Amino acid sequence: MNDKYILKKEYLIPFLRKLAKAYRLVAPVRTAQGDIILDAVTSVDQACFDFSGQTQNSAKSFLFPQQEVLFTYENGEGHYTFTPVLKEEPTIFFGLRSCDLSAILYMDVTFLQGAKDIYYLKRRENAVLITLGCNEPQSNCFCNATKGGPFLELGYDLQLTDLGDRYFVEPDRVKGVGLIRRWPQFFLPASPEDGKAQYQISLEARGVFKRQVHMDIAIKKIKNEGVDDTIWSELSMRCQDCGGCAYICPTCTCFSITDRELAPGRGERIRTWDACTFSGFSRMAGGHNPVDRNQYAVQRRFLHKLFYDVEKHGRPSCVGCGRCVGMCFGGVDIIRFIELVRRGGVRTPGIP
Amino acid sequence: MHQARIANVYLPHSAVIREVIVENSLIKTFVTQFLDQDVNASFSYQPGQFVMVSIPHHGEAPISISSTPTRPGEMHLSVRVCGHLTTALHELGPGAVIGMRGPYGRPFPLAGLAGKNLLFVAGGIGLAPLRSVINYALDQGEKYGKKTILYGSRRPSDIAFRSDLSVWQERPDVACHLTVDEAQPGWDGHVGVVTTLWEQAEISFRETVALLCGPPVMIKFVLADLRRMGFPDEAVITTMERHMKCGVGICGHCHMDKTLICTDGPVFSAAELAGLHVF
Repeated sequence: MNDKYILKKEYLIPFLRKLAKAYRLVAPVRTAQGDIILDAVTSVDQACFDFSGQTQNSAKSFLFPQQEVLFTYENGEGHYTFTPVLKEEPTIFFGLRSCDLSAILYMDVTFLQGAKDIYYLKRRENAVLITLGCNEPQSNCFCNATKGGPFLELGYDLQLTDLGDRYFVEPDRVKGVGLIRRWPQFFLPASPEDGKAQYQISLEARGVFKRQVHMDIAIKKIKNEGVDDTIWSELSMRCQDCGGCAYICPTCTCFSITDRELAPGRGERIRTWDACTFSGFSRMAGGHNPVDRNQYAVQRRFLHKLFYDVEKHGRPSCVGCGRCVGMCFGGVDIIRFIELVRRGGVRTPGIP
Repeated sequence: MHQARIANVYLPHSAVIREVIVENSLIKTFVTQFLDQDVNASFSYQPGQFVMVSIPHHGEAPISISSTPTRPGEMHLSVRVCGHLTTALHELGPGAVIGMRGPYGRPFPLAGLAGKNLLFVAGGIGLAPLRSVINYALDQGEKYGKKTILYGSRRPSDIAFRSDLSVWQERPDVACHLTVDEAQPGWDGHVGVVTTLWEQAEISFRETVALLCGPPVMIKFVLADLRRMGFPDEAVITTMERHMKCGVGICGHCHMDKTLICTDGPVFSAAELAGLHVF
């Protein structure tokens, strides 16, 4: 497992062609508008690797779709039957950023550690995860503070590092080793110099983060001192109830389940993404809501990531991708929260 | 096929409503059985647990089981009309088929209650989950000490579970006290909130565990009174409810601070609830 390889850049497309024949290929794609998104590619020419930073979306929706049919049902006089809907599709994820791989490892805990979610499990079993480490972390990135990147030690099937004219290839899981065994013609053994070059690049990447996010300090303060109520009320007031942070977040996995009637005698049970910041998230039948939204709309989201999961699993469930920083037009992103906690309160008016 | 069904936690089993008992104008008890005999045979539950109930086109809701596993063969769901699903359920009669999956949640800690006196305090529909544990304890003979049941209703016409209440009132090992917030003609019983029954019921905290279920305001006042009487928080047990979607600890809806009601609860001791945003 400790063998390292070199994939020359001129072999990348031929290698991807082989992969695309054997699997559904999900990779970064440049849209007509110029955005880079993670998407299923029908032709490897669509894939795009010459970009810094991350795709706009994470891999979340490919393992846990924004909306999916769990089962169909038929009902009538004396019967009510259920037929599960589960499509299995072997999928290679190519060019995932480290933060997004870290998020998948976190989703594994949510969906598989207790009750096993078979929908997630089947997609996960069918997934091969090839990451591309980040040589140039972007302006909102803070995976250095969450240990979610920019390069990883484990958890990927293959990790690629861009060494200029070639990729340094590290397998971790057996599926990654399997790819190299299946298509050995694309891979050369890495030399000690290649290993040093990779190490150098990963070190340099750690040095270019633009944001100083004091996650460890915030986590300690939350545990030891709690969070000042003025922080909750200030941030809850700014929250516009859009759910954007939860949707864009690669580790937010709360969902709702509803029925869709297709005809009087049949329908579908559907699971959709939900957000704990929504005012209706905790509201019970009859109208009582145990969460006071004016005061605590965003409390669940931040404490879940920086307190409850730390207590339960020994690590926060924020991977430092920074997407919520770009998403939230109310400025209720996790970096601001961490900074407010670190400072110990809100300086109003106009928090910087 | 059967194997696949077991593995999918979201797939309900079909169940038929055998009988509907009208408890009061808002509460009905649905006597249910799974259609598949294998499921009936393998399904086991403990007092305090709940099931996710499906109604065609109305999705699912968590409903606590109000029967006791000591009386096998059928399962009771006592439901107060409240939202969409419970309204639709109330329109169903015998023979209608619903979906059920479960049982879920941490039950009442019955093993630890052996030898203790049991004090049950319920308000309104809150008697549903306690009915399960009360009948369970009564079916165990001498295993538990003195059983005291305090049941508060809004008005005499709101008193639910009348057939259970008359059985409990007849039993020599049970003291069952009823009260109503507001009397109606013909009512000669106690009037006042449930906490006005303490004296009449001769409550003592010694060797006693209190089990509570009712509206938040009742729980608050009962908790405060029990503490004053000397009950340690470990000896006060209640069951919580929240909006819930999956029932198995994944969807996130039923959070109560660091806990999830579906898997960490719904049964909690007052000691476990201390410091949490309970209501």
